[in-house]
Amino acid sequence: MIGKFKIKHYINYIVISIVAVIFSVISLSGGQIDNSTLFLLEKMTISIILAVSLSLVVGFLGELSLGHAGFMCVGAYIGGKVASLLEESLGNGILTFIISLTAGAGIAALCGIIIGIPALRLRGDYLAIVTLAFGEIVRSIFQNTSAESFGGAIGLSTPRFDKKYLFIIAFVLVLATLAVLQNLIRSKHGRAITSIRDNEIAAHATGINVTKYKLLAFTLSAMFAGVAGVLYSFSNYTVQSAKFGYNYSIEILVMVVLGGMGNINGSIIAAALITFLNTKLATILTGDLAVLQNLFYALILVFIVIYNNAPKLKGFRDKYNLASFFKNIFKHKTDPSIVTDDAAKWDVVPTKITMDEILSVDITTNDNGQSDEGGKSDG
Amino acid sequence: MKKALSIALVLLFCIAMLASCGSKNYSSNNTEFVIGLSGPLTGGAGMYGTAVKNSAQMAVDEINEAGGLNGIKFKLIALDDMHDPTKIATNYSSLLEAGMQISLGTVTTGPGLEFKNLSKDDNVFFLTPSASGDAIPEFPNGYQMCFADGNQGKVAAEFVNANFKGQTIGAFYKSDDSYSAGIFSQFKGNLDASVKVIETNFTDANKTDFSTQIDTLKNCAFIFMPTYYDAATTFMYQAKDVLDKSAVYYGCDGFDGIDNVEGFDINAIPQKVTMLSHFNSKATDGPAKAFIDKYTEKFGADTLNQFGASAYDCVYAIYGAMKAAVESGKSIPVTISASDLCEILKGQFNGGYTLKNAVTGSEIKWDKTGFVNKGAIQYTIKEATK
Amino acid sequence: MELVLPTIINGLSLGGTYAMIALGYTMVYGIAKMLNFAHGDIIMVGGYIMYVCMAMGNPLIAVVAAVIGCVLLGMTVEKVAYKPLRGASPLAVLITAIGVSYLLQSLAQIIFGSANKMVMIYDFGTIKLFDVTVQVSSLITLAICVVVMVILTLFIKFTKLGHAMIAVSEDKGAAQLMGVNVNGIITLTFAIGSSLAALAGFFYLLKSPSISSTLGAMPGIKAFTAAVIGGIGSIPGAMLGGIFLGLVESISYKITAIAPYTDAIEFAILIAILLVRPNGFLGKKRREKV
Repeated sequence: MIGKFKIKHYINYIVISIVAVIFSVISLSGGQIDNSTLFLLEKMTISIILAVSLSLVVGFLGELSLGHAGFMCVGAYIGGKVASLLEESLGNGILTFIISLTAGAGIAALCGIIIGIPALRLRGDYLAIVTLAFGEIVRSIFQNTSAESFGGAIGLSTPRFDKKYLFIIAFVLVLATLAVLQNLIRSKHGRAITSIRDNEIAAHATGINVTKYKLLAFTLSAMFAGVAGVLYSFSNYTVQSAKFGYNYSIEILVMVVLGGMGNINGSIIAAALITFLNTKLATILTGDLAVLQNLFYALILVFIVIYNNAPKLKGFRDKYNLASFFKNIFKHKTDPSIVTDDAAKWDVVPTKITMDEILSVDITTNDNGQSDEGGKSDG
Repeated sequence: MKKALSIALVLLFCIAMLASCGSKNYSSNNTEFVIGLSGPLTGGAGMYGTAVKNSAQMAVDEINEAGGLNGIKFKLIALDDMHDPTKIATNYSSLLEAGMQISLGTVTTGPGLEFKNLSKDDNVFFLTPSASGDAIPEFPNGYQMCFADGNQGKVAAEFVNANFKGQTIGAFYKSDDSYSAGIFSQFKGNLDASVKVIETNFTDANKTDFSTQIDTLKNCAFIFMPTYYDAATTFMYQAKDVLDKSAVYYGCDGFDGIDNVEGFDINAIPQKVTMLSHFNSKATDGPAKAFIDKYTEKFGADTLNQFGASAYDCVYAIYGAMKAAVESGKSIPVTISASDLCEILKGQFNGGYTLKNAVTGSEIKWDKTGFVNKGAIQYTIKEATK
Repeated sequence: MELVLPTIINGLSLGGTYAMIALGYTMVYGIAKMLNFAHGDIIMVGGYIMYVCMAMGNPLIAVVAAVIGCVLLGMTVEKVAYKPLRGASPLAVLITAIGVSYLLQSLAQIIFGSANKMVMIYDFGTIKLFDVTVQVSSLITLAICVVVMVILTLFIKFTKLGHAMIAVSEDKGAAQLMGVNVNGIITLTFAIGSSLAALAGFFYLLKSPSISSTLGAMPGIKAFTAAVIGGIGSIPGAMLGGIFLGLVESISYKITAIAPYTDAIEFAILIAILLVRPNGFLGKKRREKV
């Protein structure tokens, strides 16, 4: 069924496209955009891709990955190396970019599969440690390569893409990332991934192929981290592996947490905001004051997570949250079709569910492993 | 809810955009010559950036007090990059948009590799006080005041070739650091075939317990140590009773400040500690002494090091070259674009301009590749304890 | 033999510090069932407390103050950050722990600045052991480690509080029903873990006297690796894992060709062990119950 076009489902594409078009028009018509603004846009788009892709694993799959910067590192080095090899024959154009992007994202995805396999066996803390270890291994290996291969300790010098156009490509990549990940999350696959987060055993019992979906989420997340890495290598003259440490993974995690776990638009805004603040605060907070920035991130992590997850604060949360705050402003009617998770809290027992709320229905796999696709209602 | 969020998003980008409107020739409204600098003012390398900033400011103030360049004053803008190369693009463009006409580049090598490329595109002259990577002055607009890493490795190797022919020496370096690994590879490459090197290294994650490394080097009478002072102090402390009392440590400019570390008494180390430097922090006469006195009076001795001394010289070198250009008939208006000024300065630096009686050398010249040409001193920080 | 013996002795010396930190890690993980990312940073706080106290001169006061300070800090962190999340998803707890770790690091940097500080607490000197010069402090670290390991094992096996700890680790709800003060036990666990962190900080500074705000981060992660290798939750396992890691590091540094990859090798071993034997050398096998 082709559902009714709802603007709220596409609002992020629209907003991002508008911003991209405004800047592109100004830039291409020889207008007055400072380089610092262009660099800021490049950084923002890289952060957005990273945050949205990490959000798939942390927010939707419910596993903690502390090696996201490691996947980005793979993308940046592979993409940068391919680009510097191609530069002589193909020039530093869009073709070089596309080939490098494919290579970087592909290898990063491969790493995602490799690290996704332990992900199937381990959960929670152990998985977090394995991803952290992976990130450190990748960094350590690239840091100690020979000067001819990946530059070693000095770093790999890569061709920088023309700054007038790179941010446009970056915006296109953001839209592509969103298109893939958002559609995945809104599909039955996305609901399968979310169900693994909520209760893995129950998800398994209903016939969801947990292995497959975990691997899918990990691989896609790694692939887009690789995309961000390639973008990074094209927006810098050198790729230096010291950047891709554990701290950078945490910075991405802060974006996801600040944006709200499992909220893609939130991740986008948080990524843009934090990148913006990082660059602008750097010129304001100098000397030892610069640490205040880190303190601020640490406080965000602690307070937001406690506020959102503490069992004792649940009543408080339900009463005073941002959504109900806005609801009160816009005076929404209570919709009986919205099913809240806590039956005791229902003011009105849901009596009807409107048809366009059902997007699809999945029915279990039978013994032969053939999927007995339900999906009748979205056919 | 979603609407509110999207409005916030659009607002955010609007702010970014509003902040971006400006004119292209950023120096056309200048009332002073603007010197830009990016360095680590915080973080692990913060001591270097602070020294460079303080010293450069000191030189700028002195020049301004003396009347500037024909009455036009200088202004220094220093931004913090926390030794992170990804901050350079922003810092560089912010500096340029603030009217930067000349630059001191970056304080450290990693960020400098970004800086040299960005400044090449706009043709901005830079003379870095301390980014010692061999690749820093790659383009015609880049110059170094410190010795390049390769040069330091070579000088050290020549010293070893002359004094330890046919003997075995030790080397200790940080394998994941461009500075340390860079010097070591040049050192090894220039070493006489008869000298045997026992090498051992460490990484950023393991810089606290060097028992294995010390054990490897325990029979060496001479240890080449191209590392920064923090790891060196830990090594020396742990090795003080293991190595022979007559052993000699030989460091490069990263050793600078080793005798100033809070809580660390270099005299507790029985071995001899020497370093290759262009600045004698215990100088008792000459320009170095004047610099040390003035710096200590203004900022204290905590951050006094050769990085600062070098930055002080950089400012005077730029000022001197501009003055020489004006005297030879060139016109340098205060609103000159960075690119035009770069051409004038390049002409001076490549044309044999010499900085005399400076803090880090009595006669400093540059060759056309941007490398500095001045005498190195092997400076003994402390003698062996008898 | 000439090469093997020093390598083993150095490995033991390296491993002692890891083992000490891993003991604290494994206590907290074994009983509170949470990965306390901030454990390494409690070591750092202990280091700074000793740095401040050493200005007054007496090493003994410094150590006692560090232990008391770290115990108070550990209990406060548990109370403020982790207790509200009891019953929440493990992911939330883990992220909070990372947040606390960051918080401690940035606070330390604000208070003490970013430059490294040196603090010489006490110099025990060196002795010759089989022709290898060893820091006496390394030997003391190992010895204290063994003592702590034995005390902890006895404490858990033979005291009432120890039994209560095992009960809490097995099943919090059931323990509560049997009259165990679960919150109290978990706080006690954190107190013990933090005092071990303070001790680890002391031995760490004896060996390498340089303090910075990130001092605890890497040793913390490495020690966690050691705890996992030994079997998390197992006290002798932590000791074994720490020494194993120290030996790996020492051997790897001896071979020039692979020396730069030492970190990568250690972490690769961690991943391999988790894949092949997720419960480590001495960990108990647990079955996931539905």
